[in-house]
Amino acid sequence: MTKVSIANHIRRLRFEHREMTQQELAAKIGVSRQTVNAIETGKYWPSLEVAFRIAEVFGRRVDEVFDYSREGRR
Amino acid sequence: MSFREKSAWVALVAIVLVSAMYVFHVPRVFAPNPWAMTALVVSLVAFIVIEVVAWLVLRFRHPQDAHTPKDELERLIELKALRLAMYVYVAGSFLSTFVTVHHVRGSAQMLGACLLVAFIVAGIVNYTARIVYYRRHA
Repeated sequence: MTKVSIANHIRRLRFEHREMTQQELAAKIGVSRQTVNAIETGKYWPSLEVAFRIAEVFGRRVDEVFDYSREGRR
Repeated sequence: MSFREKSAWVALVAIVLVSAMYVFHVPRVFAPNPWAMTALVVSLVAFIVIEVVAWLVLRFRHPQDAHTPKDELERLIELKALRLAMYVYVAGSFLSTFVTVHHVRGSAQMLGACLLVAFIVAGIVNYTARIVYYRRHA
């Protein structure tokens, strides 16, 4: 059984971008603040579109914002 | 608590309140009752009025959130909750038909009442599921 895990660096990136608030990031990517919080805390994995928009806001590549890892056997 | 979650709470409270009012005025829901249709229409109007008033109050308190279109997580939550409610309603419909056919005094009115109960329970499941999913993602 393969266990998929997607971590992210949104909290750190927000801090590096003049301590951008979740509300500001939410407004830039067109989702609610609650959704940004769910993504940041790993409770929700965003669609590719939202992932690209987040990366675009921080001027990074998607794989610099999100870490994909697999554990266990297939 | 987000604007959508508050809206779900309002809808849940409204549906429970109106259903309780209906059962209070039509105690024997499954038996023939001349006031059943009138009570149903009044309950429906009361539900719409409560929903509209509460939505206006929420919109006044959160003007920015009210104008923001639903995002992908909110749409996903709505779909998941609606799917659960659909299962409940379909199961309730089959059960209503079964009960009406096999009941000694089964009638069209009884079938209607059973379907109404299934519809209300499905509505409660819908809004409860939304709240649970919103809390889970909070």
